Amino acid sequence: MTAPVSGLETVELPEMPSLSRLYVAAARDAARKLVGRASARVSLPRARHHVAGVRPDLVKMTEYQTLLGETKRDVAPAGYVHTLAFPAAMSVMGREDFPLPLLGMVHLRNSVEYLLPIRYDDLLEVWAWAENLAGHRAGTQVELVVEVRHAGNDDVAWRGTSTYLAKGVYLPGVDKPGLNGQRDEFSPPAPTALWRLASETGREYAAVSGDFNPIHLSSISARALGMRRSIAHGMYTASRALAEVGPQKGDTFTWDVAFEAPVFLPARVCLSITDIADDDGTWARSEFVGWNASSGRRHFRGTIARL
Amino acid sequence: MSTLRKAVVVGGNRIPFARANGAYAMTSNQDMLTAALDGLVARFGLQDERIGEAAAGAVLKHSRDFNLTREAVLGSALSPETPAYDVQQACATGLETVLGLADKIKLGRIESAVAGGVDSASDAPIVVSEGLRHAVLELNGAKTVQQKLKALSRLRPKDVTPVAPGTNEPRTGLSMGEHQALTTAQWDISREAQDELALASHRNLADAYGRGFFDDLITPYRGLARDSNLRPDTSMDKLGSLKTVFGRQLGDKATMTAGNSTPLTDGASSVLLASEEWAESRDLPILADVVDGEAAAVDFVHGKDGLLMAPVFAVPRLLGRLGLTFEDIDYFEIHEAFAGTVLCHLAAWEDEEFCRERLGLDGAFGKVDRAKLNVNGSSLAAGHPFAATGGRIVATLAKQLHERGSVGGRPARGLISVCAAGGLGVAAVLEAR
Repeated sequence: MTAPVSGLETVELPEMPSLSRLYVAAARDAARKLVGRASARVSLPRARHHVAGVRPDLVKMTEYQTLLGETKRDVAPAGYVHTLAFPAAMSVMGREDFPLPLLGMVHLRNSVEYLLPIRYDDLLEVWAWAENLAGHRAGTQVELVVEVRHAGNDDVAWRGTSTYLAKGVYLPGVDKPGLNGQRDEFSPPAPTALWRLASETGREYAAVSGDFNPIHLSSISARALGMRRSIAHGMYTASRALAEVGPQKGDTFTWDVAFEAPVFLPARVCLSITDIADDDGTWARSEFVGWNASSGRRHFRGTIARL
Repeated sequence: MSTLRKAVVVGGNRIPFARANGAYAMTSNQDMLTAALDGLVARFGLQDERIGEAAAGAVLKHSRDFNLTREAVLGSALSPETPAYDVQQACATGLETVLGLADKIKLGRIESAVAGGVDSASDAPIVVSEGLRHAVLELNGAKTVQQKLKALSRLRPKDVTPVAPGTNEPRTGLSMGEHQALTTAQWDISREAQDELALASHRNLADAYGRGFFDDLITPYRGLARDSNLRPDTSMDKLGSLKTVFGRQLGDKATMTAGNSTPLTDGASSVLLASEEWAESRDLPILADVVDGEAAAVDFVHGKDGLLMAPVFAVPRLLGRLGLTFEDIDYFEIHEAFAGTVLCHLAAWEDEEFCRERLGLDGAFGKVDRAKLNVNGSSLAAGHPFAATGGRIVATLAKQLHERGSVGGRPARGLISVCAAGGLGVAAVLEAR
């Protein structure tokens, strides 16, 4: 995993694709893929997408830092790098030969290794591919891997693995894990913070991340895709928890989150962050969990840890 | 320390504290602070006196009040040549002005000083949305009509909704009451114990008014002669009948009510500090020495300690430096942000494990004799105009110490502690003169 997987054909993209155009294309293709379900592909594209000459946008990064409550440092927040690089992964998911429908995919988990600090003025290269197509009790899951390197440096600076579930899609020959995905009982701990998320939260994160998936934008657009109300982006909640872990994490760390019950907007979300130190008292990791302040249902949980 | 001269408390003056949206609903921070200063001037004959320096502050502060203390001085009967500066350290503002100015007197940089604080929860600043603020800022910088139209075109309907201030902690989004509710539950403080403390606060404050204790500490203002939150006839039954308002998610562990929490309050206070020479040369009283002070802060953001627990750390550090224990303290003035706050502090100082592991002591720090605690009432009864509380406590304690004089051949001694937002806490020791 340290280098782009071998045996994949590299597809050069002239520039970072636009997510909104990918969504439009996805909607156009949705019907066609449904029709073609009978002959659905059971393998992932043998391709990795590569975009060179990617540079953070200081204005966008500042908007991101403002919305997520990040101090405006010159080093890019790990969540901002995700918004910058993930369109490359979306372009893999939008390929003709990608076996799962892009629209309606559920973000199950996200795992990031931030290995070398990325400054707003760094020139970057992005690689993205799909791997580990696997059965899930509710459908089929797939991992989208994104790697970011500084131009001219072979070492990975940032690597993200996003696990998505295509609900209700079962591909022939893809194994279903047995009890995998069973959830443990959750009783909320004492909160350390309370988020009051307004109904604009989805639109605001869409504006800074470029992720205009209709399920996040408004109740009407969400209902069109079968949700009862709009939901917060999982990455908004994960990125905000990351920001609230604070400066102790430093510039490089790992950041893992698992998403559970969706956050229907508006919402009051309780958060608990637990800092765990080594024997000598230095920070080792912070565990976080978020739940609905009224129902107590768990929305997400994760860990930010020293490398 | 021994080479420094002394800084003394000459006296104090405050206006009665008013529950928010009451008697002072239409008076600003500057109005109230000026009233407190003018009362101080009248009491000590400071008309046209050039004071060494004045320092005060407000927690809820309008941006136009960037020079609040200086403006209040200019509006008061003090000499307009009295320099002034603002301090802002949340609810510790008032006590910090006293300690900072006392240090300047001790160092010989100034001979006299006025410390103080003010807050209005009624006349609080209303903030416009970030969208409107950015549009107006851009509009101000726009030169052409086109640029101006572009700035205005960014406005969205939701941008014109104003934002009222809250007492939420910026980093946690939890209100101060919600934070304290978690700490109160963690230290297992009962509803009854909190109501008892609130009752004692009202009784002690009423008694102090009854014996005329506040006659030379308070100047009536806007029709108020005493603190409007004071309920001399409250009882355990009445306090016990109130609904819980904080920590409701704790279910039957919720214990905090409007009765055992401080209300939003308007008010101002001031304290006259001086070198001994300055006070003596003007034939002014000397009530107490400002001996020493200590600030502390706790890492509350992820719950390592409760938000309002910093005084638990400040007090042992301060007393340790002075070679004192609780046995050497005759009066404890522990600011009653919430009854639960005071009781959590007392519980922590009595907890062996906590004192060993967190305070680095050999065992429990000690037990506060409740008969010495907040003997003239505190914030639960008087109310708590955030930055004004420190000045109220310092003047009240200085007078009480002076009345007591000496204890067992040494000057009577008092300890003050004030908790504050941001996990802050400030403590001070005063000695009778």
